[in-house]
Amino acid sequence: MRWWVNILAVLAVVCLVFSVPFGLAVGAAEAAVAVSDADTALRGAFDAVLDAEAAGANVSAVLVSLGWAGGNLTLAEGAFQGGDYAGAVAAADACSALAGAAAGEADGLRVNAVAAAGLWWQTVAFSVVGACVFVVVLALVWRWLRRVYGRRIVASRPEVLA
Amino acid sequence: MWRLEDYRVVFVAVGLVGVLLFAVPSLALVVHLPGGERFSELWVLGSGHMAEGYPYNVRAGESYQVYVGVGNHLGGSAYYLVQAKLRNWSEALPDGSVPSPVAATGKMRGFVADGQSWEGAVSFGFGGVAFEGNTCRVGVFRVNGVAFQVDKTADLNGTEYAFEVFWELWLYNRSEGMFDYHGRYVALWLNMTAPPE
Repeated sequence: MRWWVNILAVLAVVCLVFSVPFGLAVGAAEAAVAVSDADTALRGAFDAVLDAEAAGANVSAVLVSLGWAGGNLTLAEGAFQGGDYAGAVAAADACSALAGAAAGEADGLRVNAVAAAGLWWQTVAFSVVGACVFVVVLALVWRWLRRVYGRRIVASRPEVLA
Repeated sequence: MWRLEDYRVVFVAVGLVGVLLFAVPSLALVVHLPGGERFSELWVLGSGHMAEGYPYNVRAGESYQVYVGVGNHLGGSAYYLVQAKLRNWSEALPDGSVPSPVAATGKMRGFVADGQSWEGAVSFGFGGVAFEGNTCRVGVFRVNGVAFQVDKTADLNGTEYAFEVFWELWLYNRSEGMFDYHGRYVALWLNMTAPPE
């Protein structure tokens, strides 16, 4: 009976060895999903950048990050095209991570830009109040000048030239 | 001595200038000057980063490099997709706002701020090239190291087997969530030659 056990053990090891690559290998379907997800993440991140830009934020740094993410997506597509599905998943995941970080960064910029938009009212208030105060002060100075001017005219006497 | 009317003119002028100065910060927030024409640029440069030195006589197994660039003048940030395509005489180029029906072989992405430009290096090459009679067949078109099965043929025209590699510019359309052909392409004619014997 012992030799049967040995054969079974050898068969089990052989099955295990041959099954490991299949268990770890990345299939085309999984790679396609990863690439598609990365593409979606990249578009979503760019949408976030557009929102931040519309709010008045400077998004040039985030665009650089998106450029790196886009490069990874191109790599993922190339690897997928070449049948390197594991490489495609790795590059797609890198793209998704970069796109997610860029989207978060863009969202932070948008929030800051919206908060900074509160300065808009301060600026308008400064203009309106400042202009009004300036006009009032100028009017007061004008009234004072007119009074002084009138007094001088009244006080002045014609000189008689001999 | 100035008359009172002279002083009045000076006060009115100072008042207007002062009000204008106070209004400048608010005007800067409200008034936006109209921008110029909105468009995108697309160009291809030779290996020396100049508008010269483009590959023309090509053959299998060699790699050729050019630079494809995009300029953004759309008034806001843009997400561009540049698609490389290979065609022969019988296949259509893009027509106006309609892209070429030829399948894309390789993509590049560029995120470009308004008024900025982006440029990417493109290497391409050919494989599976066979000459049969007066016909040249190209089986593989490689773009940036990625091989695409193309199976294109070109008949001998004079002394040349002409293929054209071209790059189409696509623009991300947020409202549709997809890319639209942006009506721009650049192209290079190539003459496939046999390897030296």
